[in-house]
Amino acid sequence: MSDVEEAVDQDVANDQTVPRDQDVPHDTSKEDVVLRVDDLQKAFGGLVATDHATFEVERGTITGLIGPNGAGKSTIFNLISGFYEPDGGRVEVNGVDVTGMEPYEVADHGLIRTFQTPRKLEGMTVREAMLVGPQNQPGESFVNVLTSPGSVGEAEKRNLAEAERILEEFEIDHLATQPATDISGGQMKLVELARAMLAEPEILLLDEPVAGVNPTLRNELADQIRRLNEEGTTCLLIEHDMDFVMELADPVVVLDQGSVLMEGPPQRVQSDDRVIEAYLGGGT
Amino acid sequence: MSAGTRLQTAWADLTRAEQGVTGFIVGFAALLLFGLLSGGLAPTYFLYLVGIAGMYALLSFGLNSQWGFTGLINFSVAAFFGIGAYGAALTTADSSPLAGGFNPLVGLLVALVLAAVLALLIGIPTLRLRADYLAIASLGLAEVVRTIVKNESQWTNGTAGVRGIPSFFEGWPVLATFPEAMPGLEIFVPFGARIVLGTSFWSALLNVSLVLIFVGVSYALLRRVHRSPWGRVLRTIRSDEDLARALGKHTYSFKMQSFVLGSLIMALAGVFYAHLNLFVSPGDLDPITTFYVWVAVILGGSGSNRGALFGGFVIVAIREGTRFLNEFAWIPFDVAPLRLLMIGVLIVLVMRFRPQGVLPPQRELIWPSAVDEAPSRPDSGVREAKAGGGDE
Amino acid sequence: MVLLDHLASGLIFSSIIVLGSIGLSLVYSIADFANFAHGDTMTIGAYTSLVTFGAIGGLGGAVLGIPFGFFVALVVGMAMAALVAIVTEKVVYEGMDVDSIGLLITSIGVAFVYRAVIQMGFGADAVRYDIQALRPIEWLLPYNVRVTEHDVAIVVSAAVLVTGLHVLLQYTDLGRKMRAMADNPDLARVSGIRIDRIKLWTWVIGAGLAGAGGVFLGLYNLLSPRMGFNLLLLIFAAVILGGIGSVYGAMAGALLIGMIHELTPLLSQLGRVFTFLPEGFGLPIGNQYGSAIAFVIMVIVLLFRPQGIAGEAV
Repeated sequence: MSDVEEAVDQDVANDQTVPRDQDVPHDTSKEDVVLRVDDLQKAFGGLVATDHATFEVERGTITGLIGPNGAGKSTIFNLISGFYEPDGGRVEVNGVDVTGMEPYEVADHGLIRTFQTPRKLEGMTVREAMLVGPQNQPGESFVNVLTSPGSVGEAEKRNLAEAERILEEFEIDHLATQPATDISGGQMKLVELARAMLAEPEILLLDEPVAGVNPTLRNELADQIRRLNEEGTTCLLIEHDMDFVMELADPVVVLDQGSVLMEGPPQRVQSDDRVIEAYLGGGT
Repeated sequence: MSAGTRLQTAWADLTRAEQGVTGFIVGFAALLLFGLLSGGLAPTYFLYLVGIAGMYALLSFGLNSQWGFTGLINFSVAAFFGIGAYGAALTTADSSPLAGGFNPLVGLLVALVLAAVLALLIGIPTLRLRADYLAIASLGLAEVVRTIVKNESQWTNGTAGVRGIPSFFEGWPVLATFPEAMPGLEIFVPFGARIVLGTSFWSALLNVSLVLIFVGVSYALLRRVHRSPWGRVLRTIRSDEDLARALGKHTYSFKMQSFVLGSLIMALAGVFYAHLNLFVSPGDLDPITTFYVWVAVILGGSGSNRGALFGGFVIVAIREGTRFLNEFAWIPFDVAPLRLLMIGVLIVLVMRFRPQGVLPPQRELIWPSAVDEAPSRPDSGVREAKAGGGDE
Repeated sequence: MVLLDHLASGLIFSSIIVLGSIGLSLVYSIADFANFAHGDTMTIGAYTSLVTFGAIGGLGGAVLGIPFGFFVALVVGMAMAALVAIVTEKVVYEGMDVDSIGLLITSIGVAFVYRAVIQMGFGADAVRYDIQALRPIEWLLPYNVRVTEHDVAIVVSAAVLVTGLHVLLQYTDLGRKMRAMADNPDLARVSGIRIDRIKLWTWVIGAGLAGAGGVFLGLYNLLSPRMGFNLLLLIFAAVILGGIGSVYGAMAGALLIGMIHELTPLLSQLGRVFTFLPEGFGLPIGNQYGSAIAFVIMVIVLLFRPQGIAGEAV
């Protein structure tokens, strides 16, 4: 046990009010940080949604982000990925400051996020939907489409092959030419995950990937995420499903009322009194 | 395989919607042909109909590019049509209050440049707005354009309009005198009427060729770009813009590109109109044109160029068809509101019962050379399956 | 002072716009789409009252130069507008399974149907109410303000209707439920509020007010089949400027838009308004640009504050 952890445990044992975020010395044993969130702040009108939140995601991990309803998990995701503009603080991806950048710029730096309730893509087959994933396609330039059809065709061919390969890894390649609106919600979740991978992310932000999903699919998604992680993709995921988070993520960051309450391996987080109180006491 | 069996397999390959539309077009064409041969339909008028249909096809292509593919609710179609028409008119007409008398090709260039500038002026403030605000803002800004055209007579001649626009082919080496040079033809149709083809027919033929070239070029261009990754990003923006942004696409830029492209095609329609009608006035920017084109696109099938073509035909049929009703004196009211009523009812019916239109996109849109080996289409039309017609 | 006269016109015009913008804002918040048929609903109110007034006549006395019969016709016009709106909701919108944009497009079709029917019945030419036009009020003339008693009636009537709405929204059960639905539709549904019933009442109130707006527009100006649609853009501008979802914002927006519209002619006469400027100074913007200016201002505001004056953050 490190000195830090011993000190914290001591505080808890002494029933002291544990200092919040900025006073808790951070775990400096992280070697390679893909995502750094530093003193992030956001308020909507009078309501403070993100209150000086600070945490880091180490490369190669599946880091969980949990917290009671209203803790501000979605807000943090939106702040990190550029959909909200922070009132203060800093976000760094791979050491590059992406604070306040537009979502497409943040994605450009390697941070890809999924959505909890995406809208279905009308009028496309599954593989067409997948083809939106890869970044910097030459065919996305109007000029290229007209002037260099050859290179556009080449890239499209490669991307299509890659898309079909990934669909196969996810075991849904039989759906490739199905209309995207025809597949089940669960299959759509797999497609989204697959498509996000085509964007070759440095870090994947998963927004409640198994919300409202049946147990079989839940396990399948867990397996897929674990596989992606083993193959090198760092993940940060928000989930309410405790079992899912505990079996998949390490470390787990706990958010309460907009700031980081604590961080640690799943077992310790689960048994921590403060965490339990935050969930029972209700942050809402 | 004989021609007959080849035709049969081709027919079976179409989805039900495509079969219906093909049948409609063939039937309609047969009707027109009958009218021609029996003398009821003057050949010059027939060509005029084709010309107007081509014009609406162009407008529909442009709007389809903005709404059908990118989901931009653009209610300023009339403004771009008008700018195209006025651009060509003010450049080529002798009576133009600004510099006039230039070659129509220069007029075409001027019209396109003006349209691009106007697209930027309207697009920059509005494309960041949510969809319904875009609708209102674009309608309003179109009205601002119309007000300017109507009132700044020192630039546009105001309500008097611009007359004396030359034909598009004036000053061309052979084509300028083609109508007069061609001999008048008389065609005797067995059991039919005698058809006379004079100068007016040949000049109408020239005009029709012009619009067919415009339509052909636009269709080919759109077909290529819509099968490309560029087109795919647009379609993703339409369904779920946040998704596109999260995947690294600069959606504002894509929306602007799509908006400008559509506007250029609409201006092309305006240029054709100027050289067809030989007169333009502020009334040509009336918002009713915008809504005609909207009906064409949503009826035909948002997102499909062939659907837009079909929708264009229907609009012309309604416009010209109701004109004939005037002949029958038993209708106690004016034709204009009747047309308005039909358009209104059509919009409500389409949105109520078939919001995706008659001929929505049927096939996958992937770059051709990438799918040569892979099966190029799903077992059923992509939209058909959704609508429940899965066994075609 | 030249300015006073234009301000007065602005107030009168705003009174007409506010009757349209409140109704539009209500429908926007509760039925959740931009109703492009709202302008033509005003036209329906106007023409219905034209017919009614023609049928029943003056009915004896008058107030502020307007016969009692006209006020009866006003009520009938409002009722007809409300009725048409309810029928449209039941027949067209209720069964539709499209999103808010789809409803927007549908409402354009509905607008055309309204306008076409009126044009078929009354022709395309402009008409006026059979009320004698009045001369401007004497004691205001020295202030350079040219206002007739009809104009005063318009402002007073609009004020009465708006106050009535305020009372309804704040102090009645229906009003409370309407505000709840506008604020948070899901919560409203869960707490037992009859959504359909409230929606219908919203249509009644919104269309009724629009009908009244149409009648007064006809009185202020004239009646023509396009009268409502011509005003629609300004009404939208007022709603958006004031902030979608806020009825009080719609009132503020209407005041602003009306003022801007009527003050535009002063742009070319700035020298007469501001004594520190040379006499003949003015911007080369003609009187016909009133709507255009109001509109451009709305677009500019949207760029910097998309939620409008009183709306919630987007």
